[in-house]
Amino acid sequence: MSPWVTGVGLITPVGNDRASVEASLRCGNHGIAPVEFLGNPDLPVKVAGTIKGFAVDSPNWRDWAWPAGAAFPKEVLRGLAPHGLYALCAVEQALAAAGLAPGDVAEDPGTGLYCASAGSAMLLHHNLAMMRAVRGARGNPMGVVSSIAGTLNFNLAAHYRITGTVCGFVSACASSSHALGYAIDDLRLGRLRRAIVVGAEELNADSLLPFAHMRALSRQSEPALASRPFDRERDGFVGAGGAAALILEVPESARGQTPLAVAAGWGQAADGYSVAAPHPEGAGLLLAMGRALADARIDAGAIDHVSAHATSTPVGDRAEAVALGRLFGSRGLRPSVTATKALTGHGLSLAGVMQAAFCVLSVAGGFMPGNPHLEAAGPECDGLELPRRTVDRAPTAILSNSCGFGGSNVCHVIGTPGRFTG
Amino acid sequence: MTPTPPSPKPLLARFPAEVLAAYERHRTQGDPDAVQEVVIAAVIDYCPGRPNQRPPVGDSTRLIEDLAYDSVSIAELVFFLEDLFDLTISNEDIMQVRTIADLRACVIRKLAPKAPGA
Repeated sequence: MSPWVTGVGLITPVGNDRASVEASLRCGNHGIAPVEFLGNPDLPVKVAGTIKGFAVDSPNWRDWAWPAGAAFPKEVLRGLAPHGLYALCAVEQALAAAGLAPGDVAEDPGTGLYCASAGSAMLLHHNLAMMRAVRGARGNPMGVVSSIAGTLNFNLAAHYRITGTVCGFVSACASSSHALGYAIDDLRLGRLRRAIVVGAEELNADSLLPFAHMRALSRQSEPALASRPFDRERDGFVGAGGAAALILEVPESARGQTPLAVAAGWGQAADGYSVAAPHPEGAGLLLAMGRALADARIDAGAIDHVSAHATSTPVGDRAEAVALGRLFGSRGLRPSVTATKALTGHGLSLAGVMQAAFCVLSVAGGFMPGNPHLEAAGPECDGLELPRRTVDRAPTAILSNSCGFGGSNVCHVIGTPGRFTG
Repeated sequence: MTPTPPSPKPLLARFPAEVLAAYERHRTQGDPDAVQEVVIAAVIDYCPGRPNQRPPVGDSTRLIEDLAYDSVSIAELVFFLEDLFDLTISNEDIMQVRTIADLRACVIRKLAPKAPGA
């Protein structure tokens, strides 16, 4: 059994709803904008994938602003980090898209919640500084639940009164792909009939600048040139914030909903190589892709589109290109490969489920995004099909990759309801 | 180096001007009525519900039964009052607080040893 995707919610640098995100993906419009952190124009981080329509720079939720139409009570807002607000908005969208009211999932033992975020470094820093200012005498009562890495699980489970299961995943940039994978497994095992999967990250000095200190970020100041996955001139990733949510349902319990796409299978494997760098030949990723294909009961020839993890770092993109070359190129297969981080930037924990959501839009909308920022692909990409423009053809089976620190590799197969019977 | 505690003005920045004025009256003149005004403003601010709702409150209004305060909202309110007035309210103190009048009395009692000019 392969679960159906019946709802998508998106708060992303390229749009805050399904229609605007799909339009951006089709047209190759990026959401990367100039930024300045900590009032320091000399920092080498000049651009980022920003979220429009929200103001969440303050550590105090009372100062926040978000798009009109959503009214949340104080007892919900007080426990949220900035990315928790994004996540809440994305889940609201996804539920509505699936034809579900919040009351439909409340206290339903068949509904589970699977979350991924890195927590809020900004709030952690702010709350601990306040605590230290009074030498530990007092602190923000919501400091823990709003800032540590489980903040999404805590807050969303309480708000939606989730009783099936609630869990969180922390595997860096593979986190939300893990969340999606384990949600699929729980649905297949008959433990649940419905899963809400959500990933989110905030974008601020505390979340992003530490990656500059690893020399992982692009130093480019031109938004259209900064995130250039697979390009020979790529020089690092561009940070992004936002949230993406999916509603997954067992077909028999899908209430007559039309599936947008099918979560056909997934696989994971580890590099066993480095704390931060990928295996140079993409060994773990290759194994994970093979496992995802086996899980979906298809071979590589059935894949007509790949949503690459490629973040625009020299070593990461190279490793993935080598792995893709082995899986596809060496067999004369040329699926269309896209790296949507050219448009969004890299959403870290959010990246996997955001990509999966984009794949759902591709399947439902009948298109495959291109690589509009690619000028000259690196030599390791020989044999890969990297179209510049959107391909107006409906994919039937997409492979979506995620890779995280510590050599964590997760791949998903997302396809059409016609190709995968559910 | 020990960081300086936050000054009250940022804490009160989101409140109406009359609440800031009341806080200043407390600080400079030790006016207990001014404390009442600030305490009520804080109770309304931390009251669960939609951010723009303003529940009716008076001396006998009960935090939990009438205003739907839960344990976290009470902890937030206490944290705010501790920070604003630079005092410590223990769990034992707060267990005795049921109404707004109780809370005001608790704050004034805690302020007593340091009032005006202390």
